[in-house]
Amino acid sequence: MNSSIRNALIALVITTLIFGTGFWTAQTYNNLRLKEVRAIQDNIAIDILSLETQFELLGQLSCTNISENSVLSSELNALALRLSYTENQLGSENAEVLNLKKQYSLLQIKDYLLMQQVAKKCNLSPVFVLYFYSNEGDCATCEQAGNVLTYLRETYKELRVYSFDYRLDLGALKTLITVNKINQDLPVFVIDGKVNYGLSDLESIENVLPLEKLATTTNETDN
Amino acid sequence: MQIAFDALMYPFLFLTLYFEVFAILTFFDREAKRRRTLKKSDTFPSVSVIVPCFNEEKTLRDTVSSLLGLDYPKEQLSIVLVNDGSTDATRQVMDEYANHPHIKLMHQKNSGKHTALNAGINASRSEYIACLDADSFVAPNALRESVAHFDGPRIGAVTASISVYEPTGMVEKMQQAEYALGIVLRHILSIMNGLYVTPGPFTVYRRDVFEKVGPFRAAHQTEDMEIALRMQRSGWHIHNAPRAVVYTKAPATFSLLIKQRIRWTTGFMRNCIDNRDIFGNPIYGVLGLLVLPFNFILIFFGIALFIVGMLRLGENLWQWLIHTSQLPLTELLHFPSLNWFFAPVSAIALLLLIAMTFAFGLMYVGAKISKISNPMMLPIVWFALLYGLVAPFWLMRAALDVALDIKRSWR
Repeated sequence: MNSSIRNALIALVITTLIFGTGFWTAQTYNNLRLKEVRAIQDNIAIDILSLETQFELLGQLSCTNISENSVLSSELNALALRLSYTENQLGSENAEVLNLKKQYSLLQIKDYLLMQQVAKKCNLSPVFVLYFYSNEGDCATCEQAGNVLTYLRETYKELRVYSFDYRLDLGALKTLITVNKINQDLPVFVIDGKVNYGLSDLESIENVLPLEKLATTTNETDN
Repeated sequence: MQIAFDALMYPFLFLTLYFEVFAILTFFDREAKRRRTLKKSDTFPSVSVIVPCFNEEKTLRDTVSSLLGLDYPKEQLSIVLVNDGSTDATRQVMDEYANHPHIKLMHQKNSGKHTALNAGINASRSEYIACLDADSFVAPNALRESVAHFDGPRIGAVTASISVYEPTGMVEKMQQAEYALGIVLRHILSIMNGLYVTPGPFTVYRRDVFEKVGPFRAAHQTEDMEIALRMQRSGWHIHNAPRAVVYTKAPATFSLLIKQRIRWTTGFMRNCIDNRDIFGNPIYGVLGLLVLPFNFILIFFGIALFIVGMLRLGENLWQWLIHTSQLPLTELLHFPSLNWFFAPVSAIALLLLIAMTFAFGLMYVGAKISKISNPMMLPIVWFALLYGLVAPFWLMRAALDVALDIKRSWR
């Protein structure tokens, strides 16, 4: 066989193998990302379950203890960042991503409900923010609002932000939407039970946040 | 935009990787190794070196000095300087060699490089004709190395390894890396008789070539490509002498570089169109099946990827500006997370990394086989950073010129 033809054929095989290896490596890396997201979710789920159990077993559990064991918002933030990045990498239609988003949403709802009980029991006044968005192209300002919210929850550590994909097909989420009487004018912020539409810039969001209460809450928790 | 980018990037990467792998495999062929280790010629056939000159007052002396310094018997070497109607002091510089026994001077009205080359060829009687641009300088061994490669009756021309002369600025250093890649690719393609250019900086021809295929032609200001394709059509082989080094002055600014490359690219495209029957034609082997189609397609990939890439970048930048416009400046200047999770690992990124690694490796090999001692690290850095940003400009302009049949002057 002519050496050029032989080289051309071998080159085709090697190039195909390189391409296959490239795709395989990228896929493996994405799987590691998904694994990391799942691991964080598992940890959070265990934390929440543990807290719920403690709450049910020991009605007189000290507030200090609860505070120490409560799911840190930074954990949820880390999970949110990773999930968002994975969604960008794999696409919002990816079945694994959708599944993780559903689990994440459930964890948030559970944390939200539990923290409401904790706040009542321990006389805390945290600020709960439920944020509803969509990334199906029908919410032009959702990404901006999301960035502002990320900044705010990094700035005010006691702000408990829970973000939900409005279009996610999840029963518990639909119930949460119904309970709060939220329509489709996204983005939507529910701050301490009050529904706010059309907010996306920093100033307007800060205007509806009880900033003084946030500062007070921080002090109370620290003590 | 993301889908368009991916749709372009995957076939581009596949073609590039395929070409690189094919080149690397050929590099290890027995014939390639034989040619790399070929000894300098011990026989000294007569050679005339034709130097066409148009406004070369600044470099001509050094060019002639390099020729006079060739390791070749003087009685077998003649130099023909052809002044193509220069308007600067080229004539006066040439006159300094009026009494040199081995240098012949010719003057003609400005009528193009190809006519100057033909005039020089017609005025010489040597067995071999070497053509050297007047802004290029041969290494002492260049001619003996080149002559050694005429070891078969159908070898019509032997090309040299071209490197940048004293690269200083980033534009020249970037080209140094590009030329190093050119050295190894020229060596590899010559193994398969896939060369389609006999470069002006320095190529040695068997005299018979001009008698059989005819003289140089205007050929869209790329006479060195046209004659190479004509040689290929006539069954001549074009070889390469990797250790025959010639240094050429490279454009020192982006604007000069773009102008030069527009000429090269339009010439390439127009000659390809003139010789379109070679494309995909198995009679011409690797040249018709791989080299010319790949290089032609690469132009359009380069343009399309640049446009789509820039649109994507603009879109992302715009989105980023809109979405972060509300946040304090300190928030925007956050250093990106170094967590492994957020590393930009994707199939495209990995394949691009592999393709670039192969290309940089080939550049090092190019410098090594031609024994060019200039450091390669910085040139490769400039090449990696700049080439992809500047090359699309001459590709786009050249494609436009060809599409609209716009002709530009040489300088």
